[in-house]
Amino acid sequence: MSEDAVTEKDVRHVASLARVALADDEVDRFTTQFEEILDAFETLEEVPSVDRSAELTNVLRPDEKRDSLSPEEALENAPETEEGRFKGPNVS
Amino acid sequence: MTAQTVQQGELVTVIGLEVHVQLETETKIFCGCSTGDADEPNEHVCPVCLGLPGALPVVNEAAVEAAVKIGKAIDAEIPQETRFHRKNYYYPDLPKNFQITQYDEPICQSGELEVRVEGERRPIEIERAHLEEDPGSLQHVGGGGGIDSAEYTLIDYNRAGTPLMEIVTAPDFRSPAEVRAFLAELEEVLEYLGVFDAERDGSLRVDANLSIVEAAEADENGELSTEALESANRTEVKNISSHKGAEKALAYEETRQKNAIQRGRVVEQETRHWDESRGITVSMRSKAEEKDYRYFEEADIPPLQVAHWREEIEIPELPRARRERFREEYALDEEAASKLTSTKQVADFYEDLASEFDPDLAATWVADELLGELNYRDMAITELEDRLDEVARLVELVATDEITAKNAKEIVLRTMLDEGAAPDAIVEAEGLGKTDEGEVQAAVEAAIADNPDAVADYAEGDDGAINFLVGQVMQATGGSADPGTVNQLLRAELDD
Repeated sequence: MSEDAVTEKDVRHVASLARVALADDEVDRFTTQFEEILDAFETLEEVPSVDRSAELTNVLRPDEKRDSLSPEEALENAPETEEGRFKGPNVS
Repeated sequence: MTAQTVQQGELVTVIGLEVHVQLETETKIFCGCSTGDADEPNEHVCPVCLGLPGALPVVNEAAVEAAVKIGKAIDAEIPQETRFHRKNYYYPDLPKNFQITQYDEPICQSGELEVRVEGERRPIEIERAHLEEDPGSLQHVGGGGGIDSAEYTLIDYNRAGTPLMEIVTAPDFRSPAEVRAFLAELEEVLEYLGVFDAERDGSLRVDANLSIVEAAEADENGELSTEALESANRTEVKNISSHKGAEKALAYEETRQKNAIQRGRVVEQETRHWDESRGITVSMRSKAEEKDYRYFEEADIPPLQVAHWREEIEIPELPRARRERFREEYALDEEAASKLTSTKQVADFYEDLASEFDPDLAATWVADELLGELNYRDMAITELEDRLDEVARLVELVATDEITAKNAKEIVLRTMLDEGAAPDAIVEAEGLGKTDEGEVQAAVEAAIADNPDAVADYAEGDDGAINFLVGQVMQATGGSADPGTVNQLLRAELDD
């Protein structure tokens, strides 16, 4: 068990950071689920830590242009576009 | 300021900066998309900078080199190992929902840059400088045009992934004027290094923290304790995009906070937005705290070990060193040396001229005449890039006494800038070649013969009368005679 229990307040805070609107009953459900997820991750504490491969450093590429996507390809999966731009809701 | 001189209730302004500068590379920091100007929105984008699933960021070597150059220029330490982190936030300017940046192991640590304000030099500590990716550009459309009232958002990711260096200073500034001087110096240094283009739109962006503390909190050296700094509520002012803007925004914020304190109110700790067009700062809805960004290591990018690059990468002589050398080598005063090193191009051009002609004459021509006339026309020396040899020829014409300095500046230089003509053609067309000695001598004699009253006044000791006679000669020769020579010739005649 994690030391600090997940509270309803934690869930609402995480939801606001992710810009997700939650109904009250969803908050209850996620509070329980967050607990379960964190418990599951605690299992990882038992895995011994190992250092990453020391040889893998300075993976760099030269400053050379590569082909970009065309604007049409870039926008292909966008639900909405306008004037060649991705269109989304107001984000103040 | 010493503790003894502090008046009761005297207030000190404390400012620290986060300066974001775009690095001049051909391609983005983690992909091969161009950082150049695009014709269309979303033209310089690929799976990496669009954050498409499975895309793998690979660091641009040139961005790391630029960071090491900056580190060297600000006397920073390049740690043995440096790595990238993900800064998580949900906002559509970055399509991945995180920004790749650096957190606790930045590429540059503890450097400094000296600023000069009102003749006083002060080092500003640079706590860190790190590499990160620029977000995309948002347009808030509809409603009143403001962010809050907009109906929807349009997004262009051409800018997303442009390499940025974020340079973070200690809270070492005591006035908005110091901030402006620092930003100007920083821009100069970055331009000298060739890693930055100040002319580029949006290439410099500044966030500033400002607080007001009681001067009485300072120790005898004028230093403020960490507790004093931390106990004062500060505001973070965002959306500053130039050094002039920084000075204005911070002067506004300084006054606003001082007014609040003097009226007995508490300054709210908050983030404020600089509204350039209205000239005020406005409160923004409070943003996330640092822990909300849930920084964690960017596992897709192995760490960098580039400490040894600091010795391998060469950087050019920096503005401050060059200014000091100019003062010594060419015996220039501080103001001239400062003007002549304001950009690398100006300094290079001056040195070219100074190697051929009298360094003093070259200094006058570059610092005063050329930069003065360019400034008057709101032009940069870069616009004359291909015509600097013409300016050099003009200086040669003056140096070899072929035209007068007055004509060279008032007619030739101005015509060159306004009409694009070459100096020799202008001298020819305007008939500015210096009048030969015989002609000047004749004009001197004529002036004396024609103006007996002035001659009599001079004889009676009225030295001002000589100026009138010089004027007569200048008029007769169409301004092509040298006034100094005319003066001498007149005195020679009259004193005989």
